[in-house]
Amino acid sequence: MSSIYADYNATTPLDPEVRAAMNEALDVSFGNPSSIHSAGQAARRLVDRARAQVAALIGAAPDEIVFTSGGTEADNLAVLGVAGAATGERGGIVTSAVEHKAVLDPCTYLRSNGRVVTLLPVDRDGRVDLAALEATVKPNVALVSLMLANNDTGTLQPVAEAAKIAQASGALVHSDAVQAAGKLPIDVKKLGVALLSFSSHKIHGPKGAGALFVRYGARLAPLVHGGRQERTLRPGTENVPAIVGFGKACELAKTRLDADARRVAELRDRFEKQILARTDGTRTNGGDSRLPNTSNIAFAGLDGEAITINLDMLGMAVSTGAACNSADKTPSHVLVAMGQTAAEARSSVRFSFGRDTTDEEIDRAANLVVQTVKFLREARP
Amino acid sequence: MSERIAIAMSGGVDSSVAAAVLKQAGHTLIGVTLKLQECHDAHGSKSCCGVDGITRAREVAGSLGFPHYVLDCVKDFEQLVLLPAWQEYASGRTPSPCLSCNERVKFGLLLDWAARLGIPRVATGHYARLEKDQAGQTMLLRGCDTGKDQSYFLAGLSLSQLDRAVFPVGHLRKPEVRALAKNHGLPTAETPESQDACLVAPGESYSEMLRKHFDAPARPGEIVDEAGKLVGQHSGIHVFTIGQRKGLPAGAPARRWVKAISPETGQVTVTSDVSELVDTEFVAKRVNWLAGDLPAQPLACSVQVRYRHPSEPATITAQSDGTLRVTLKTPVKAITPGQAAVFYSGERTLGRGWIG
Repeated sequence: MSSIYADYNATTPLDPEVRAAMNEALDVSFGNPSSIHSAGQAARRLVDRARAQVAALIGAAPDEIVFTSGGTEADNLAVLGVAGAATGERGGIVTSAVEHKAVLDPCTYLRSNGRVVTLLPVDRDGRVDLAALEATVKPNVALVSLMLANNDTGTLQPVAEAAKIAQASGALVHSDAVQAAGKLPIDVKKLGVALLSFSSHKIHGPKGAGALFVRYGARLAPLVHGGRQERTLRPGTENVPAIVGFGKACELAKTRLDADARRVAELRDRFEKQILARTDGTRTNGGDSRLPNTSNIAFAGLDGEAITINLDMLGMAVSTGAACNSADKTPSHVLVAMGQTAAEARSSVRFSFGRDTTDEEIDRAANLVVQTVKFLREARP
Repeated sequence: MSERIAIAMSGGVDSSVAAAVLKQAGHTLIGVTLKLQECHDAHGSKSCCGVDGITRAREVAGSLGFPHYVLDCVKDFEQLVLLPAWQEYASGRTPSPCLSCNERVKFGLLLDWAARLGIPRVATGHYARLEKDQAGQTMLLRGCDTGKDQSYFLAGLSLSQLDRAVFPVGHLRKPEVRALAKNHGLPTAETPESQDACLVAPGESYSEMLRKHFDAPARPGEIVDEAGKLVGQHSGIHVFTIGQRKGLPAGAPARRWVKAISPETGQVTVTSDVSELVDTEFVAKRVNWLAGDLPAQPLACSVQVRYRHPSEPATITAQSDGTLRVTLKTPVKAITPGQAAVFYSGERTLGRGWIG
């Protein structure tokens, strides 16, 4: 029986069209885009084309795109870059308790350096409290960072509403769209954000490329120095093959987005319905307003890690929020921020589906999960 | 019959071959490497617990075709093994942390973790064997390779722990293990022997490493001879062990050994008379008995008072308080408080007590 990949929020397989586009950059146009000769120009054209493709996915202008090594670097550049460029009294950062570590850890770093960082609470479904945001955003806040969709639960955040509130006080708004890009239509103008990060390998592109949308006029300090590439915000010779692949992946995502989202939502719903109907003590995390592909399910009394490893032994790839740990296991900070106990949070497993998931796989996946839950309930020591 | 087994993989050749043996027998395996220390504490140590071990174990599991996970036990290992070991050193005794690690970590935490996954059994690369006696009782036997036998380190496991243990290389000799590693093309075929001393930096003593780890004060004091005459000063009792010769002040007319360590005064007593170091009798406490009830009558058996020490003929007598009085046929040197005394009847491990 072939294996089932149900961890698309971790990473996605490379699309064959993306691979073909990358091959050209690897084999033919190997030049340095900064070189003035023809070989350099050929590579430059590939990067230019990719920049336009990437910008188009989010409704940005091509020169509002800064290529990075991935989503984590884009998030870091947004948070640390705004903090580095902030002047005078306006230096505070506001973000949510359920952000990815790529946002939270730079914020923690800034806090240890004396910045005021405020973490907004979320409700049981993981949605940020806009009233709390309104109360927090004062003229001393430089940046509000709020993810579009959560990686663990898929919960969508009210980014457009948050941006309106933040902008009224003059703060820049950043959104981590690493999970949302390619799964939801994104228009940076409608969202009203100044900064938005996303990543290539989450949308069937290669690892090693990501982008930060930087709206015209938004002031950032670079984290790396040493050249004029990417408007000096991210110097260093461009990772041309990965950028080309990222561009192609964005183009494909844009054309397929609506159909893919509709199809994967149906598969996800069918999976969830089966699990909820065929197991006891099971519920979904993250509310109704979620990414179409993500299903975070709590299995009362069980250990998400035990489910994950047993499914792995059966050839099915899923994810829990935490690494294997014998002592006071740290459960997903997202589920804990949603008010769950450590035991509740540890009983959860994330299933995330994608472009290549089939009807047959969904039914087989549901069977494997039901069988595993039954086995673990019976084997419980 | 195919079973679900978790194999504890250090990244060394023994556990790698243990995995290969089980895989070949058709069992469903998961590999687990216990992470016992943080990378920044490793001091470039090549010990069994380092990151290089995790990398090698992952490589072996991949080449044999089963999944591998890292179980982070850093905090528990510190509390269950390292801290008690330091407390022993700090009170002038010499601990046996490998026994506690087997009892409380490998066949404690790991066994529990596997049970939560619905995996009833845990295998390791120890050189020891498990068999049933005629009554169906599990017996822990010495490994077939007498030079490698590790039953000493496992003698503190309970019968219920042993019933869930698997020792796939216990019937093999080391050269056979290395040959099997080669035959299976395992990347660990040529790895050096691990030192059974987790966390130790090259050139540093285990006890001093523990002191630094817990940022504990040393207990300095005097070194005196049997007559009470001052021989020198020392910077901490934790670096001494009964019977030790190294690290004593130079310039004495004859060789000297540590005879006694007083945690109260910090005094270390040395002797130049080796006969002072020998004993024919000691008490073994907190006994773990693996062969039915404690013997009602004095029992002739053999006893091993430390690892890599020949076992000595002895008679053991159970005391009313559950301890064992051990009477040796011939005097044994440096019977060290804190070490484990393990009792054997031929190949069979009868039990373990702690030297009081």
